Amino acid sequence: MNAIKGPFFRSKNSTNKMMIHLLVALTPIILFSFYKYGIKPFYHSKTNFLGLIYPLIFILLSAATTFITETLYEVIVNKKRNEELRYVIYNHYSFFPGLFLALILPINTPLLILIMGGIFAILIGKMAFGGFGNNIFNPALIGYIFISTCYASVLSSSYLSAYEIDTLSSATPLSNAVEALNYTTLVKPYGSLFDFFIGNIPGSIGEVSSLLILVAFGYLAFNKVIKWRITITYLFTFFIMTTLISSLANLGMWYPFYHLFSGGLLFGSVFMATDPVTSPTTPIGQTLYGFFLGILTIIARFLTPYPEGVMTSILTMNMFVFILDGIGSKGRFNFFRAFIFFVIAWGLILELSIHIGSGLRTSPSDATDNKYNIISKETIADQTTYIATYEGYQSKLKAKIVIEANKVTTYEILEQNDSFYHMTSDVNYIDKLLKSNDLANVDTVSGATYTSNALKKLLLLTKEDYQKDNGKIIENNDNILDSPEIKNYELISEQIENNNYVYHVSSKGFSSNIVLKIVISANQIIGYEVLEQNDSYFNVIIANNYLDTLAINQNDIETVDVISGATYTSNALKNIFKGILGYHKEKYE
Amino acid sequence: MRVVLPKFKSLSKNKDVLKIEAPEYIYIPLIVGSDTDITILVKKEEYVFKGMVLGKTKGHFRIPIHSSVSGIVKDFVEKTYHDGTKVKCIKIENDFEERTQEPVLSRKDMSKLTKKEFISLLQEKGIVGMGGSGFPTYVKYDNDNINTLIVNAVECEPYITADNAIIHQKAQEILDTIDTIMEINNINEAFIAIKKNNQELKDVFDNFLGTFLKIKIILVPDIYPMGWERYLVKYIKHTTYKKLPIEKGIVVNNVSTIYAIYEALKKDKPLIERLITITGDIKNPVNINVKTGTTLEYILTKLQIEKKFIIAGGPMMGVNVPDLVVSPNLNCVIILDNYKETLSKTCLRCGKCVSACPTKLSPVLIKENLDDKEKIKELKANKCIECGLCSYICPAKINLREYVRKAKQIEKE
Repeated sequence: MNAIKGPFFRSKNSTNKMMIHLLVALTPIILFSFYKYGIKPFYHSKTNFLGLIYPLIFILLSAATTFITETLYEVIVNKKRNEELRYVIYNHYSFFPGLFLALILPINTPLLILIMGGIFAILIGKMAFGGFGNNIFNPALIGYIFISTCYASVLSSSYLSAYEIDTLSSATPLSNAVEALNYTTLVKPYGSLFDFFIGNIPGSIGEVSSLLILVAFGYLAFNKVIKWRITITYLFTFFIMTTLISSLANLGMWYPFYHLFSGGLLFGSVFMATDPVTSPTTPIGQTLYGFFLGILTIIARFLTPYPEGVMTSILTMNMFVFILDGIGSKGRFNFFRAFIFFVIAWGLILELSIHIGSGLRTSPSDATDNKYNIISKETIADQTTYIATYEGYQSKLKAKIVIEANKVTTYEILEQNDSFYHMTSDVNYIDKLLKSNDLANVDTVSGATYTSNALKKLLLLTKEDYQKDNGKIIENNDNILDSPEIKNYELISEQIENNNYVYHVSSKGFSSNIVLKIVISANQIIGYEVLEQNDSYFNVIIANNYLDTLAINQNDIETVDVISGATYTSNALKNIFKGILGYHKEKYE
Repeated sequence: MRVVLPKFKSLSKNKDVLKIEAPEYIYIPLIVGSDTDITILVKKEEYVFKGMVLGKTKGHFRIPIHSSVSGIVKDFVEKTYHDGTKVKCIKIENDFEERTQEPVLSRKDMSKLTKKEFISLLQEKGIVGMGGSGFPTYVKYDNDNINTLIVNAVECEPYITADNAIIHQKAQEILDTIDTIMEINNINEAFIAIKKNNQELKDVFDNFLGTFLKIKIILVPDIYPMGWERYLVKYIKHTTYKKLPIEKGIVVNNVSTIYAIYEALKKDKPLIERLITITGDIKNPVNINVKTGTTLEYILTKLQIEKKFIIAGGPMMGVNVPDLVVSPNLNCVIILDNYKETLSKTCLRCGKCVSACPTKLSPVLIKENLDDKEKIKELKANKCIECGLCSYICPAKINLREYVRKAKQIEKE
């Protein structure tokens, strides 16, 4: 008889139970997203039935993607069958990465991109490392990073629900953080800090409701499901640092709470940083992990052009888990062996807070922007040449701006050394600025927020200075706007109804022809209706109320940005609006 | 992390101690603790008296092994020891006469003994730790700077109630012995450690405690493994030690050992009997008083219990055995209807084994680095006391203790 090895007594706890607890904790968060992105817009008649259940479809699709991907991988690559396959399906919880991925993405992320993210998360994030239990990086975050690097612009424009489109203008509260540092700009547009707390702000699907996430944390910590030390030390470090920064910059107590409640910090610290497989197992390791996560997030939010930072911090720290566990396992026998790392962490916490805080203190309002500096100004006849600088991300940007006959004729960057400058030139940001009528509200380039902001401010402040001297308003550089006219729409029919001109116009969209009915009266488009379309990304257009935007800006169609993620479709619509108005004016004027 | 285990103690708790008649054949195991290097002092067909020395350990400590019956040495056979290993036993045919070599004397005043006499008595009577270690007790007292005696009545493993039963039966004798030990060894204070939820044991002692001013009852938290020496010393004396508690002038004795000391001092009786708990999925769980060398088979037949899945010791540290002979450091036998090994799943790295480990090991890391001897040394796998808490707590049901045991072996090689 072969003796069975003890202990003959095992706890009632099991992996399965822990996962069920995790699902229970996530349920209110999922329901809240259903309310916020489905029920609320539906109630206000901003969307149809599909829109009502869209958040649930989005989350389920993502979970299904990772589940199917992993199962297929096990069948095809690992050749698992019957009993073995059943084990994998029941015990590897492959729907969780998808669930988390959906919750950290914005609601308007195109479904195809979501699916690609899910597949990437499983194949690269999990299976490439040997599957469940062996992965170094959090799979959901791998999927997120994939999407956010490959489709950065899609993400940044996808945060608003159909309901919020009407009331809010910017993407997420954090994306404003770079430009201004006062309550009016950062918090006011979204209501109050209470709105931040309950989740009444734009953001990723699962990240917005701080209240529900904290409740989930309480539940998970009470049931000992997650490594609560990580969450506590992470949030503690972050809060201490933002508090120090805000007191050094005289910002007031709202500021640390604003940072705490915005972005993915709470969700990341509760659900992503505590992912058991990819976080330290030793208590000391977990504590250090939390400290450094806090430090990295602060660095990302304040010293890099990416205002988010939580997800990248967690992925970065994932790499150091085995080192932290080494420190943690030895530190258990003799704490002094780990002590030095605590000293380093606290040194960094204090040093960085002071550095960032005193840097922010001098931060100006728009009126007296002392990052802006005019080096020289020469006026010959009606031509004024400015040489001016503006503090960019890592360097001073030096530009030559020539204003001739009240028009900007030259905008040339003479010196710069910003690492992300190329991102602005990639999108012809300067051209965009020159074409814009409303310079102050031109969006910054995501990923190069500081640099693009500097470019914008250079032009804006130079123009202001010019106006001060000359008292004249600079007109738009129409000459740059003029581009060769190509007929890129098709007029199907035209008729006159009740003194209004009714046109049926079509243009080629992304995957179908789009047919619009346009009503024009007194040279103005007064009504439109979508008659026919079958474009995959049309929901993005609707979600962004793009047609309204076009109608409002019908006289300056060129200045309306296309919607990233639906470029073809938005261009087609632009062509229709611009073309038919031009056609009408030419015919009847 | 503090781990509270389910108890299962009420099965055999507060029941009268059963005494079963001695078996026809006794198999005295030639082992003390884990030391099997024994000089045998008897021959086949030799007549032995009850309490006669049959063998002695060869090592430094020279612990004798006594016969628990009188009769004729029949044979030397192999039987299972309670750690699952096979051990050589002396088979004695019981003549049911209970004859002793010399008439049994009863010492009137135990405290008249000198320290030297006390120590040699403990050695002669083969008193060893009855909590499970089987460590020779006289060695603990062979020191001039003892200031504290801690009596371990924690019995932290589930199911076991042997200590509980002896306290209910012999509280007065135990307190007397503690007092005597204190007087002989010049010890200032003594503590009896009892679990918080065993309030009734405190009440039992309180009935007699009035005259023993230096003995205190300490209620310790209901966590596992609270009965571990280091935990007790830390909890009661707020101190730690390197190898043995005697470094800090502390002696820790199991309460059953204290009773064995009583019998040695008062009645000159060697350690040939003990209380064990027979429990589990059986009709009548009991505490019984048995002679060392009794086979489990005999006990089970007497109690009319069907032989099924047998665990020698508690469910945490015990071992699955096919059969066994009773030795002084066996305290419990658990019989389960059927036990199926839980299937282990993939490690989630949840870190529960790390937080649970009372010796501050990191079992998950030891498991992950099993092929790296250097790493194992750094992770100090040899500190493991094999309490089994890591295996107990693991949500994936991984038997981590076995991995740590493996690591200990690798480290030794």
